[in-house]
Order: sequence, then C-alpha cells, then structure tokens
Amino acid sequence: MSKDLNNICNPTIFEKVFRTYSKDLKRFLYFKFGDMESCEDIMQDTFVKLWDNCSSVNYNKVKSYLFTVGNNLFLNIKKHEKIVREHQQLKVNESTYESPEFLLLEKEFQLKLEKAIAALSERQREVFLLNKIEKKKYKEIAEMLGLSVKAVEKRMHGALKELRNKIGNI
Amino acid sequence: MKENKVHNDSEYFLAAWSEGEISAEELKKYVSEEDFNAYMKLEKGIHLYEKLEAPLDHSFKKIQEKIKNKSKSKVRKLYIGWFTSIAASIVLFIGLYSLLGNNTVLLNANIGEHKNVALLDGSEVILNSKSEISYNKRTWKKEREVTLKGEAYFKVQKGSTFTVKTINGSVTVLGTQFNVISRDDFFEVICYEGKVSVKNELSSIILLPGNSVRVLNGEIIEDHQIKQQSPSWILGESTFKSIPLKYVINALENQYNVRFDRSLIDESVIYTGSFNNKNLEIALATVFKPTNIKYRMTTANIILLENN
Repeated sequence: MSKDLNNICNPTIFEKVFRTYSKDLKRFLYFKFGDMESCEDIMQDTFVKLWDNCSSVNYNKVKSYLFTVGNNLFLNIKKHEKIVREHQQLKVNESTYESPEFLLLEKEFQLKLEKAIAALSERQREVFLLNKIEKKKYKEIAEMLGLSVKAVEKRMHGALKELRNKIGNI
Repeated sequence: MKENKVHNDSEYFLAAWSEGEISAEELKKYVSEEDFNAYMKLEKGIHLYEKLEAPLDHSFKKIQEKIKNKSKSKVRKLYIGWFTSIAASIVLFIGLYSLLGNNTVLLNANIGEHKNVALLDGSEVILNSKSEISYNKRTWKKEREVTLKGEAYFKVQKGSTFTVKTINGSVTVLGTQFNVISRDDFFEVICYEGKVSVKNELSSIILLPGNSVRVLNGEIIEDHQIKQQSPSWILGESTFKSIPLKYVINALENQYNVRFDRSLIDESVIYTGSFNNKNLEIALATVFKPTNIKYRMTTANIILLENN
C-alpha cells in the first residue's frame, strides 16, 4: 500500500507531486535565473522528465530531483542560447539575466509583497486574487459575489492602496 | 470636474489603472511622484506574483500534452520501424541459427596424419592420427573446454581454467603443456610443463612436470619419470613404456590404415619401445621383432599376427 502511495508513476501521485512542488520550482528557477518566460517552460519540461523517469525517482527525494533537473535544463538552454548567439555573431548584452544582488532585492520585495497580499482583508484579497490570479473581469467578479461593479472596484482600489502602503517607500 | 468627464469612476482610479482602463500616464495625475513610482514597482511585483501563483491546471494540462505527444511520437517511431523490425528479426533468426547450429567446432586428424590446431585463445593443440577435438565457440570465452577423442598434445596459454574432457576422465589446467590419450578404455595424461589436474569418477590426481598418470582396466598407474620435453609422436615416433601390447597394436592401427588379426597372440605382453610413424615396414619390425611375433599381410590391409 505504502509502495503504491509513493509510486510517482501513479498519475494521482504524479499530480500530487506537481501540485506540491511546481510553484516552488518555478519560484526557485525565477529567483535563480530571473527569466520568467523560460521558467514556466522549464518547469513543465522538468515534470515531463520526472514522468519519464518516474520509476527510478525516489518519492522522498522528488523535490531535490525536480530542482536539480530544472536547474540543469535551464543551464542547458542558456548554454545553447550562447552557442546560437556565437554562431550568429551577435553581440547581445552578455548578462541576459539580472545580477544576483538585484535578484536578491527583488526576491525580498516579492516576499514582502506576498506577505502584504496575505495580510489584506478577506474582502479585498478575494477580489484581488479573483482579478489577478483567476483573471476575472470586475464585472464577472461582481456577478460571482453578488456585488455591484462599483463595490468590486472599491475593494480593488482599497487593496492596491493597502499594498502600496505595506511595501513602503522604495 | 474635468477628470470626472474623462472617467466617471475615477474615484477608484487604482482599480481602473490595474484593469488597464486608464494608462500609467493618467495615473500620474492622481498620485504623487513617489506613490507613482511605488505603484509602478507594485505593478511589476503583482505581475510576477501572477506568474508565480498562476493556476496549476493550465500548466498541468500542458505537461500532460507534452507527455502524450512524446509517447505518440514514440508510437509513430515503432510504426515506421515495422519493416526494420521484420528485417531485424530475420537477422536475429539467422544469427541465432548460426549460433545454435554452428557453435560446436569439430577438428579431426585422419589416420596417418597430424594436425596442428590453434584455439581461440592462442592455445595450441597437436592432434595425433585418428583423433578429434571439439569445442563450443559460443561458450569458449566463459570456459575453455575441449572434448577429446584419441590423442593430442596441448600447449595451453595462461588464463582461466582449461579443461580437456574425455570419456575416461577430464584434465584441468591453467596454462601448461601436456599430452592426453583417451582411446577406448585406455587413458593417459603426461605433464610436460606446469601443473595438471586429472579427474575421473574415482579419483583426482595432480601431475607435476615429468609425471604421468595412466588408467588401464580401471586401475590407476602413476609416476613414470618422463624425460622428454614433448611427446615423441610429434617428431614422427610413437613411444611406449610398459604398456600391454594390445594398445601398441591399436596405436599402429590408428597410425597406419591397417588392421591386425590378433587371435593367435597374447596381447597382454608388456611392451616398451617406439615405432616409426612414417614407414609401416620399419614400424612392424620394431614392434614385433622384439616381442617375437611373426606378421604377415593376408588380404588387403589385414595383417595376421602369429607367435613364433
């Protein structure tokens, strides 16, 4: 039974692993390399690779497996891009991704922002998340929550103002 | 008043800006510069937050698609490889057939001839007349094993255990030179170099250079001091030491294409000596003169032996 629960080849377990670690992985990749566009793709490819090797990956070590594979995939892409650039003999800005210091500051800011979002009042956060994460229009949110569009806008306005106050001066 | 004309909901300008209803330029009108910069930064942060926190279902669907496409392309590959697989299996069958059908190598020397054979590991075998060896080509790398009928002289390259199997027993060595005779119930092993282990159902003996062992009528006779460096038959002479005449006559039959009628003589007489392998007349004389036996060619290839 426990074997079944730890078998990543089981689609349910695989999905569970995905839901547990995919955000962490994406975050890890982003703050390491600072390239959001590639992060999503690499995260997906990492899980495809995990599926391919599902029988040989230890369930208890799946997190470090994911991070290692993601890291390597990213480095491979960067290496490949560099070669392509050399062949095209293009002199593009060498540092395609941000400096570590910048990334560190950005990470700090991001954590601060996330804390601030979590600290929003229930009403404001609800609207904010529906709008930003679920990509709902104010009108849709209003219908969903049984509010007027005006009320939704008010909450959104309040949420943004609250966030701006929480992150302080930059 | 003017603002209200442009945006009737400017009361919640942040919500409007966030939704893209008013531009950043317009937002500037509502807030201080400091706030504006903060909102710009906030916008970036929220954008990142959106990406990082994006619902997983979409990503998961993408992953499932990728996995599907991958296995699809795998299936296609197999389909394309249909002909290849048929070709491959034909090759495999031919290969298997040749492996199974041909993996035993048989080498023999006819009457009156010697044959030098090099084995796969560089070991050398000299087959005496009317002898044969066989070995399995496929399993040779795993175990060096040859089956012998008759007489042969072995110079074995160093390496893993080398086994000579005969119906009378087996000889095992690591790397050495030795002579094996196994004809009918006569079995003799002479060690010229190295160490040789001889085994039959009854016992097992280790031979050192110059030692020999002989099994005659189930009786084991050991320890002849052999002085030669290699068997004399290689140089064209068959040598015998205290052997019943029967086996000497057998050896003559094996060497020359002749038969002996032995009904009139006592075959158990012990013989020591040698005969020439090239000339039958000389050979007959050297064997039968000392043992006081008359020989006479009766019909073609049959020689009648009589006591004098």
